[in-house]
Amino acid sequence: MKSRINKYLLALGLMLSLLTLNSQTVMAHGEKALEPFIRMRTIQWYDVQWSKQKFNVNEEISVTGKFHVAEDWPISVPKPEASFLNISTPGPVLIRTERYLNGKPFMNSVALQPGGDYDFKVVLKGRLPGHYHIHPFFNLKDAGQVMGPGIWLDIEGDAADFTNDVKIINGETINMETYGLSNGIFWHVFWGLLATAWLLWWVRRPLFIARYRMLQAGLDDELITHKDRLIAKALMVGVPLLVYASYVMTTRQYPNTIPLQASMDQILPLPAEVNAGVVNVETLKAEYSVPKRALSLTVKINNNSEKPVHIVEFSTANVGFYNKALPLPDSGNSEPVLAVEGLSLSTIEAIKPGEEKTMTITAEDAFWETEKLDGLTRDADSRVGGLLFLADDTGKRYISSISAAIIPKFN
Amino acid sequence: MSVDLSSRSFRPYTGEKARITRAYDYLILVLALFLFIGSFHLHFALTVGDWDFWVDWKDRQWWPLITPLMGITFPAAVQAVMWEKFRLPLGATLCIACLSIGTWIARIFAYHYWNYFPINMVLPSTMLPSALVLDAILMLSNSLTVTAIFGGSLFALLFYPANWPIFGMFHVPIEYGNGQMTVADLLGFEYIRTGMPEYLRIIERGTLRTYGQYATPLSAFCSALLCTLMYTLWWYIGKWFATVRYLTKI
Repeated sequence: MKSRINKYLLALGLMLSLLTLNSQTVMAHGEKALEPFIRMRTIQWYDVQWSKQKFNVNEEISVTGKFHVAEDWPISVPKPEASFLNISTPGPVLIRTERYLNGKPFMNSVALQPGGDYDFKVVLKGRLPGHYHIHPFFNLKDAGQVMGPGIWLDIEGDAADFTNDVKIINGETINMETYGLSNGIFWHVFWGLLATAWLLWWVRRPLFIARYRMLQAGLDDELITHKDRLIAKALMVGVPLLVYASYVMTTRQYPNTIPLQASMDQILPLPAEVNAGVVNVETLKAEYSVPKRALSLTVKINNNSEKPVHIVEFSTANVGFYNKALPLPDSGNSEPVLAVEGLSLSTIEAIKPGEEKTMTITAEDAFWETEKLDGLTRDADSRVGGLLFLADDTGKRYISSISAAIIPKFN
Repeated sequence: MSVDLSSRSFRPYTGEKARITRAYDYLILVLALFLFIGSFHLHFALTVGDWDFWVDWKDRQWWPLITPLMGITFPAAVQAVMWEKFRLPLGATLCIACLSIGTWIARIFAYHYWNYFPINMVLPSTMLPSALVLDAILMLSNSLTVTAIFGGSLFALLFYPANWPIFGMFHVPIEYGNGQMTVADLLGFEYIRTGMPEYLRIIERGTLRTYGQYATPLSAFCSALLCTLMYTLWWYIGKWFATVRYLTKI
């Protein structure tokens, strides 16, 4: 019986070991885990571009792009009063050397305005070689992370070559990788040796049982000797004096220090790029067909521009649905999730200047399911959001935000 | 209840008995080492957490308030056991030394080798000077009240000046992005923490902050007051745990 159990356990162990051979490294960042209404109706990313995808240690690259802060911000998500433009990396395999919002450098968090348009740039420097999946994303206070489009980056070279020298305000150049390390280790070792000496002073003699018995016998006076008291007095006076001396020494060595900086950057939105008032789009109705995996939007479009415009793309939660009647525009490496023929229109004719047209736009693709956006029919806040891109023949672009309550069609 | 021994009938152990009790000493010490490294380090990570993890969380206000307050807990409890049962004035130093070992292991292996952060960004603070003074005061006073008031206060008051030699140089200003920031702030900005946006840092917050721009003394004295209470509370927790109810013969 026992040998049979051992055999079963061995077989189980082998099977589990074989399973691990087939396992793959997790490369995602939970970007599909957040509820669809948050991904669709908070930060609406577009035109995100990376300067390079393959580069060396110490080489700098940049990610640029734009985002619109949705007007139809969900009631259950706190307003973006403290937001932090971040980069999702598996640890600091890159360092962030510069970051700009609307052309202004910003180092801290920032308040975003719903309805506002922003462009951003983040400069990164390769630190550790490897193949990494990276996203720009926003940390929104009390709401979580809203991911921008991701991309694969390859950093080549030797990690040992990485340098990060920075000039401090007195003109001295410091190496950020090692600054203050040996000094920190010195003080830890210094106090560690003193503490070890104190511990060894007591540990060298019989401890628990012997001392407990003596204490119970009323011999506690014999447990603490005159020398013990002398050392304790020396510690009680000497340690604070040492602390004070080292503190004064440090303040003299670094007389100009400042507290940690905790300010919030104030950056206003750009002039409106989305809903700029030239081509206006009003969403009249939105239906989501569960079996077809298709979102149908009934929209009223008012073209106040001087040229005919046509619908190019509907973008939501980093998925781009492109008009199947038009050639696919070059989007560089910006959107990895492209439904290239995902957008069909009830009428293919352009909207003429001065014309107001009501039409149905259908965004149909399996991405609604694979990107976990179909959950919007089961959300507590069942509204859809996104950006509708229109353009005239010269390529001039008009962007409008889409926002409507969603009606599910289960059959 | 405890064992009944009198000074007149007391005979120290000799020979085999003495050797066994000495072996027992070492066994307990090794176990205590691992126990305190694990438990105190976990307690500290869960309570002080980011203030001790990151150099850009070590501010003038919350760091010197929270760290000693949470750091005095285990030392007080272990002192209660070590002093009341064995007259060993090493409880605080032992605990803080174990905490230091635990934090250094975590910073090197978890933060540096596993998550690639430079070690200078995650340097731990030290409370060893405070612990040595706390042990010395308990031994010399043999009094819970005196140790709680003076030892607890000094435990908190010594914390910031003892750590300034380690972290002062990280507060040197840098001109960056049209503003000023410290070296510590820049480490936090440059070395990307996906789950740690800047706004999460609980630093320099609140309205009752400074007297003439000096925030640290306020925090240190507030911490000192709270440490006297925390010390007493954890002394009794330690005492409650260290029962000798089942020890009838030794």
